[in-house]
Amino acid sequence: MTAEEFKAFVKSNGTRKAAKEVDIVTTGSFGAMCSSGAYFNFGHSDPPIKMQRVWMDGIPAYTGLAAVDAYLGATELDESNNMMHGGAHVLEDLVRGKAVRLRATSYGTDCYPRKEIDTYVSLKTVNQAVLLNVRNCYQNYAVGTNSSSKTLYTYMGKLLPEFGNATYCSAGEVSPLINDPYYRTIGIGTRIFLGGAQGYIIWEGTQFNPGVPRTPAGVPKRAAGSIAVIGDLKQMSSDFLRGLTFTRYGTSLGLGIGVPIPILDEEMAKACAVTNDQILTAVFDYSQPTRSRTVVKEVNYAELRSGEIEIKGKGVPTSSLSSLVKARQITELLKNQILKGEFTIEKPIQNFPMDRVFKPLDVRTEKEAM
Amino acid sequence: MKTKVVLNFSPEAANTPITHNLIAKYKLLVNILRAEIDEVGGKMVLELSGKADDIRKGIDYLKESGVGVRPIKEGVRRDDELCTHCGMCVSICPTKALAMDPKTGKVTFTEEKCVACGVCIDACPPRAMEILL
Repeated sequence: MTAEEFKAFVKSNGTRKAAKEVDIVTTGSFGAMCSSGAYFNFGHSDPPIKMQRVWMDGIPAYTGLAAVDAYLGATELDESNNMMHGGAHVLEDLVRGKAVRLRATSYGTDCYPRKEIDTYVSLKTVNQAVLLNVRNCYQNYAVGTNSSSKTLYTYMGKLLPEFGNATYCSAGEVSPLINDPYYRTIGIGTRIFLGGAQGYIIWEGTQFNPGVPRTPAGVPKRAAGSIAVIGDLKQMSSDFLRGLTFTRYGTSLGLGIGVPIPILDEEMAKACAVTNDQILTAVFDYSQPTRSRTVVKEVNYAELRSGEIEIKGKGVPTSSLSSLVKARQITELLKNQILKGEFTIEKPIQNFPMDRVFKPLDVRTEKEAM
Repeated sequence: MKTKVVLNFSPEAANTPITHNLIAKYKLLVNILRAEIDEVGGKMVLELSGKADDIRKGIDYLKESGVGVRPIKEGVRRDDELCTHCGMCVSICPTKALAMDPKTGKVTFTEEKCVACGVCIDACPPRAMEILL
């Protein structure tokens, strides 16, 4: 069943029956996932080159690896900081089957004498093109708003002055980690739907922070868990992988992720029965230029989805930054793939560590850092 | 009736009180949707409401005053291929021309409600919104 079908089933039949009759619940999310990118192996030219600087359609890729390996980050921009076309847009172009200009320079070595190359590559020509993302699919996230007198352009989108709007980005009740709040079935080795293909969870995501305040049912009330994922870019589709532009902030990757959750027992059924009105998050004022912004108020996702929340006595229109339409598509696609036997469920080979904390970066001396 | 027009000014025409004249002489309701005027002239997008005959006369008057007039063909347009229905645009659209269908989760675009203000253009992450004036 999809997450939404399951919640409706539990409502009329209860969790005991649901635990008995339902094997798998499919969850999904499609949103901006900044900590994303792909690594490539371009193959060797003749004479060969040990690439020291690499540009893909003008966007620098990191190549402090072996000779013709490079990693292109989704938020990377060209030297002019053109935010209309960053690393994420190059990834989308590749997935759409386009050829991308590859330029590389080097100092030349005895074994790699070539000093520059200017050519074209596509997903057909490269040996590997692998999406490898270190933090995706946040388990809950903040709501952004703006109390100042000017429009703010943020990674939470365009925030209008005087609490003119509020934006949120979690898919709420259909979002993967919301339905498995203590990561019982989602862990290292879990097979997932990634950008239209099949991929895997390879680690906990960076900034993994399971210790945030939770509701009595265990649902985190702030950004908590996240996942690091891998998958074959060559199998992915632009329906679920998009270059995004956040004006005056930069680029990001719009990515679709789906995770199947096995209903192990009644406790798991209870967790997957969670609905938007039971998922809380905090509204933050993004005009405070600090890492520890004060909470304006707590709201639930049913309120956010209604299109308006109340802040300081004022009705404030809300916007989602993640697509419910695409999240639903993912839960449907994944369900059908599982039913047809095209997608098999993998038990995690290791669970996530629950003792991780989210530490800040302070300016310190060498001694203090030891 | 109502119509939306794009006006192009020379610097000389920018000194004529044309909106005042449209209101006073031609009894039109003028809604300024957009105005950009600088030292080399400018551009204005107006919504004119009134009797068909008065609108025609008003437009003739603008042309005689040396203002370039053309109807808005499309205003703001959405590329449905690019739109992911995330909903970023719905909370900033002042006329609710962009709204989210609570049932389907899809972002609907009602062109009749759109005043071509353009706030959605740079707010759209997949850049699906375009303004054609």
